[in-house]
Amino acid sequence: MNNTLLSLTIAIMFGIGTFLILRRDIVRVIIGLSVLSHAVNLLIVSTGVFYGTKVPIIANDGGHGVTEETGTIFNDVLSENILAPILAPGHSVAYVDPLVQALVLTAIVISLATTAFILILAYRIYEEYGTTDIKELRRLRG
Amino acid sequence: MDSFTAITLAVFLPFVLAGILPMVGKVLKNRIGWYASAVAFLSLMLVAWVAPAVIHGEDIHGSISWLPSVGIDLSFYGDGLSIMFGFIVSGIGLIIMSYSNGYMSTREDLPRYYQQLLFFMGSMLGMVFSANLIQLFIFWELTSITSFLLIGYWRNRPLSVYGATKSLLVTATGGLFMLAGFLVLQSMTGTFDIPAILQNESMIAVIKGHELFILALLLILIGATSKSAQGPFYIWLPNAMEAPTPVSAFLHSATMVKAGIYLVARMHPIFSGTDAWFILVSGVGIITMLAAGFLAFRQTDIKGILAYSTISQLAYLMTMYGYTTHQHPGIGVAAASFHLLNHASFKACLFLVAGIVAHETATRDITKMGGLRKEMPVTFILAVIAALSMAGIPPLSGFLSKEMFYEASLEMGQALGGSFTYMIPALAVLGGVLTFAYSIKLIDGIFLGKRPAHGLPEHIHDPGWVMILPTALLALLIVLFGLVPSIPSHYIVGPTAGSILSETADLHIELWHGFTPSLMMTIVTFVLGILTYTRYESIAAWQNRFNSRHPMISVNYFYDAAVDNAKNITSGFSSRMQPGTVKTYVTALLLLLLVLFIIPVIQISTDVIPAGLNFDIPPYEAILFTFMIIAALGAALLPRYIPAVISLSGLGYLVSLLFIYLSAPDLALTQVLVETLSTIIFLLAIVKIPQRFRERMSTSVLTKDILISSAVALTVFILMINATQGIVSPFESLSHYFIENSLPLAGGHNIVNVIIVDFRGYDTLGEISVLCLAAFGVYNLIHSRGEGE
Repeated sequence: MNNTLLSLTIAIMFGIGTFLILRRDIVRVIIGLSVLSHAVNLLIVSTGVFYGTKVPIIANDGGHGVTEETGTIFNDVLSENILAPILAPGHSVAYVDPLVQALVLTAIVISLATTAFILILAYRIYEEYGTTDIKELRRLRG
Repeated sequence: MDSFTAITLAVFLPFVLAGILPMVGKVLKNRIGWYASAVAFLSLMLVAWVAPAVIHGEDIHGSISWLPSVGIDLSFYGDGLSIMFGFIVSGIGLIIMSYSNGYMSTREDLPRYYQQLLFFMGSMLGMVFSANLIQLFIFWELTSITSFLLIGYWRNRPLSVYGATKSLLVTATGGLFMLAGFLVLQSMTGTFDIPAILQNESMIAVIKGHELFILALLLILIGATSKSAQGPFYIWLPNAMEAPTPVSAFLHSATMVKAGIYLVARMHPIFSGTDAWFILVSGVGIITMLAAGFLAFRQTDIKGILAYSTISQLAYLMTMYGYTTHQHPGIGVAAASFHLLNHASFKACLFLVAGIVAHETATRDITKMGGLRKEMPVTFILAVIAALSMAGIPPLSGFLSKEMFYEASLEMGQALGGSFTYMIPALAVLGGVLTFAYSIKLIDGIFLGKRPAHGLPEHIHDPGWVMILPTALLALLIVLFGLVPSIPSHYIVGPTAGSILSETADLHIELWHGFTPSLMMTIVTFVLGILTYTRYESIAAWQNRFNSRHPMISVNYFYDAAVDNAKNITSGFSSRMQPGTVKTYVTALLLLLLVLFIIPVIQISTDVIPAGLNFDIPPYEAILFTFMIIAALGAALLPRYIPAVISLSGLGYLVSLLFIYLSAPDLALTQVLVETLSTIIFLLAIVKIPQRFRERMSTSVLTKDILISSAVALTVFILMINATQGIVSPFESLSHYFIENSLPLAGGHNIVNVIIVDFRGYDTLGEISVLCLAAFGVYNLIHSRGEGE
């Protein structure tokens, strides 16, 4: 999708995430990692969008292939890109890239796992050392 | 069983049987050494099984395809040279492992000891039978590694560790030079196969005329000399004496240090007959022979004397293999091969005697010994046989090969003419004189003279038969080879020399061969040797004085300085590279990534950007983007944790909204669920962390960070603009497959879901495992609380 503002938004999110992971406070770093993972996910998905326009869900066509759509549910402009299937029968369909979406779906779930883990790690670090300052921790470790 | 199978078994059985040695050790307990000896015996029998065919002039060659695309096969080649080494390695191996049963205390870690010995034996056999240069290199380095392990057998002695490290640094580095030499050789010939080169005379002619000839020769010789402790590389061998004495006898006198000699002999047909070969091989050999023989005088440790003597004797072999002229490429080959065999027997025997003496007297210092002949008569006789053979006294085997050395030196001198006619034989005699002197010193210092009043245990006696018998077997061979030289010459030395010279060598080694010039040289050697021996102590004292006055004139000094410097430099480097602050690493990584991204982007399409900007979007998208940026800024700038986390969570929900616009309903759903969960986890964790720390950012830090962040943002922006410009991909997207087959193959309408649960089901399994691991991690972290107190 050729959308400059979308690119700009994602780029700004990258910038903010980067700024956050350069902080000394562990909690800020974790927040930064979350922002960065959002940005990465959006980046990947948005690169898959230019390939087509339609949601990658195949209409029920009796199992004879994927190139023909058989029915419509909604017909307004706003829903056109969102809800499938939306084309009249007989039309060819160009789906958006389903592979990048599958990748990102996995990434979202994994980032939940890692975020949970590092949060608890930060919590334990605070319990053990009484600080969340990375520099101070480095000094305590010697 | 054909010969190839037998060789393959001889090489790999030691590895396999050493692998199960710890299990066998549980049953046999302290008798595990006999199991190892049995394995060595098995290898010896397998080598003996293929020997008759080789002695009759047949070469064994076979291979198993391994990496055919790069011309590397697992292939074995057996000719006279390989068989001789095969006999030495497995035969001495058998003797050493039997002897170790008496030598090694049952308190030692016996399984580790014997396992490493067997690994070494297998590697060494693999090396000498290798038909492929790369395979030879692999086994070569394996012998370096096993040698490293065995030298460092007593892990908690600093000297052992020092010696082991030194040997590994020198020999393994030399091995890498050798590998480079092999690659140069391959670039000239196009093959790694050794017999293919050896049996192709036109190819050898091409090599000799090639401009890379000298380079290949130099690189390979660096490998050979480092392994055989020649030239400046000698320094590792004296320190290797920290190994248990049977190991020194096996690896560092009889077999492993001869790997370099083996390589020289193996490469002899390819490189010999040139001036470079003579100058490099014989030159290094003669210098080492004299220097090491001279330095042996200063040693007071009996193993130290033997170490320097080994270096000197190996240098004999180098010198002889190096004797070559254009007309007669292999003047010294037969002599060298015979001396190689003799040296393996008498030096191993001497080491075993040294082991016995050290075992009984609890010291290795020759100045504290003397007069042991009465208490250890059997050991005394064995020592005399071995030492006199080394000194070259008739009728022992060493006499014969030394005579041949003199003959070859005479011939070489005459071939070169001019001043060389006398110089080369004179240098050879000088080497013999030094050898004679330190050989006599060994007997005189340990067994003759008067027993010192104190410093030695009260009761010293010959050891049990377990240690005597293997030593006696070697002594017996020395006498046998001396009295009946036709046995070794016909069955071992002849085929060896024949395979190196690729013609049937006509060898007539006889004990008495008239008053030849070489006999005169021998007599001169004895006379001068006795004279030198009378000055032995003063020479040693002079060396000690010289050494203490000029500590810097020593290769060891440079080695130590180099190793110390390397340690300092690398530790300085790594402490600078790894300051431990996360920020430094992140910054470095980010900047590297930026450079890596921006270079190709600029290269591909600088012209695309101006044309492709598109600000034409529906207003609701613009609103969404604005909110997202506000939420992200909030997460970054809100000073307290909880508002920042709430802002982050808002960003997450906005992202899920954006996923809907990007035609990704599944992602939107997942994102909503995940965001809800992660907000809950965030809040749960955050409320437990009081916000005590607040970073005060100085302007310079702030500026720097903002600059880095902006650079990242800019790069991503440029990257995305380019990525969405419709660059034609060089290959078809995988996605087509999923779109086309989702319904027919998997029967699912939602392509993304089908990919997740069906096509890429294993990825999802991995994802679930990550979740599980994270859950375990969280659980354990929480439960580890309070354990430290």
